[in-house]
Amino acid sequence: MMGRTLFIDPGRCIGCQACVSGCRECDSHRGKSMIHLDYPDEGSSVASLPTVCMHCEDPVAPCAEVCPAEAILISPDGVVHEADPTRCIGCSNCVNACPFGVPKIDLAAKLQLKCNLCYDRTSLGLAPMCATVCPTGALFYGTLEELQAERPGVDVSNWFEFGDVQITTGVAMVVPADRTRDPVPGGLPTLPLVQVNGRDTGGRVVSDAGGQL
Amino acid sequence: MGRRVRSRAVLVAAAVSLLLVLAIVLGSRGLRDFDSALIPYTVATIFLAFGVTYRYLMWISAPAAWRLFRQGLRTAFSRENFRRAPTSLPRMAATYLGFQRFLGARSHARWIAHQAMFWGCLLAVAITFPLTWGWFTFTASSADGPGYEMRVWGFKVLGFSSSSFFGWAMYHGLDLAAVLVIGGVGYFLWRRTRDRAATTGQRFGYDFLPLLALLTISVTGLLLTFSEICLHGGGYEFLAVTHMVSVVFTLVYLPFGKFFHIVQRPAAVGMALFKFQSRSRGEELFACRRCGTPIDTVPYLENLRGTMRDLDLGFDEWAEYCPRCKRVLRGSAYLQHVKRGFR
Repeated sequence: MMGRTLFIDPGRCIGCQACVSGCRECDSHRGKSMIHLDYPDEGSSVASLPTVCMHCEDPVAPCAEVCPAEAILISPDGVVHEADPTRCIGCSNCVNACPFGVPKIDLAAKLQLKCNLCYDRTSLGLAPMCATVCPTGALFYGTLEELQAERPGVDVSNWFEFGDVQITTGVAMVVPADRTRDPVPGGLPTLPLVQVNGRDTGGRVVSDAGGQL
Repeated sequence: MGRRVRSRAVLVAAAVSLLLVLAIVLGSRGLRDFDSALIPYTVATIFLAFGVTYRYLMWISAPAAWRLFRQGLRTAFSRENFRRAPTSLPRMAATYLGFQRFLGARSHARWIAHQAMFWGCLLAVAITFPLTWGWFTFTASSADGPGYEMRVWGFKVLGFSSSSFFGWAMYHGLDLAAVLVIGGVGYFLWRRTRDRAATTGQRFGYDFLPLLALLTISVTGLLLTFSEICLHGGGYEFLAVTHMVSVVFTLVYLPFGKFFHIVQRPAAVGMALFKFQSRSRGEELFACRRCGTPIDTVPYLENLRGTMRDLDLGFDEWAEYCPRCKRVLRGSAYLQHVKRGFR
């Protein structure tokens, strides 16, 4: 299944933005960071979530499937590359279809930009910039065996659920050992939220967890 | 389905090739103006017509391209477009296809180099294709004078003196084109060996071969003139054959490699028009269901959701959330369901 890849452990992320800065140093997209760092519980906790391209395996790269210009190449090693600048027409299909919210778009340049797993480095056996600079190991690059040798008792999942659809990816997330039988929830809201504190929400929604969003 | 699409593409491509043969026969006045020395080039252009049509039809038969193709055409030729914004189509065609302003936003150097290559190739195509089809002819207007006549489909279009500057430019148009192309190709070859962004993941057949093909065509083309002027025709035959082989190879390769972007790029105009029409009506953009950030036009989003359904990507409703909210919602779900220690 997984060879050498990135493992993301949001539990270790301290939101320092080192990965964001490191990503800018990547030769294949110098000066532009492709990593997203979000704060899902902003104001209540310091929880932070780094997001890189998950390199979807099944279905293979929805971003590439919805691209009308055949611009997104998937190399034999499973890496989903950024759009070929020769072909990309800047339509944003990939940006809005990606279930993980990964690709960015430069509308003036008519060009999509996304994490390519630092292909200039990983194709030479080096770790991506984000994993190289992460001070807490929230982004770990290696094999599952190497991860488990360093962190006994952890397990990983590359199986995500969006409503009724399940997606397996090339990049995995660290999960508790007893949490591998079920897919990792993708966050797609399911239940309509009618009111918050007695006020009409105007059609906003709640997550699978039932929490207010 | 795939087989039916392929058979249809082959049939249409064959029909287009036949139409081109017919146009060549008619345009060269029953082959009277046809230059038989140019037969290999003519055959290559017929192959090119077949290849481009076949590849184009195969490309637009994929769900995402097909939907965009229909929407783009529908918008471009809609009455509303002609009535509300009649200049939008030619304006966008000029900025996207002619002056390629989006390339300037990527890099000024790449824009200049690409413009040199683009106009050089366009000039060369405008001169050589009608010549190889026998559509253009140049004849002396008198036995001893410098006067020349240019005829198109047998009709005299203009007369000029071969010793004038205009005459010089007419006879050296391809040399000028070659200089433009060599300048552009030179920059891109340099970039392909030096720039780490360009070298990451580059492939010889896809990235280098088109540049080397253009360089070979341009250099051998210039050397033909050099041979004629400075070497009294020395090595002309070898150069002519090398030039012809490189041109034929490039034309046959065009539909299947990097050059296919020339045929694909008009899709950018269709896409821009499709989005522009909705904006010009003053319609509100579709806002993210969670945070209200504008995502894109409503018809665009409906089109994308339809594409996702065509492809059995059953999470198309997710497209109604902005990328940031998708990530935040996934983070919240991870926090709630997977690893509470995340707090």
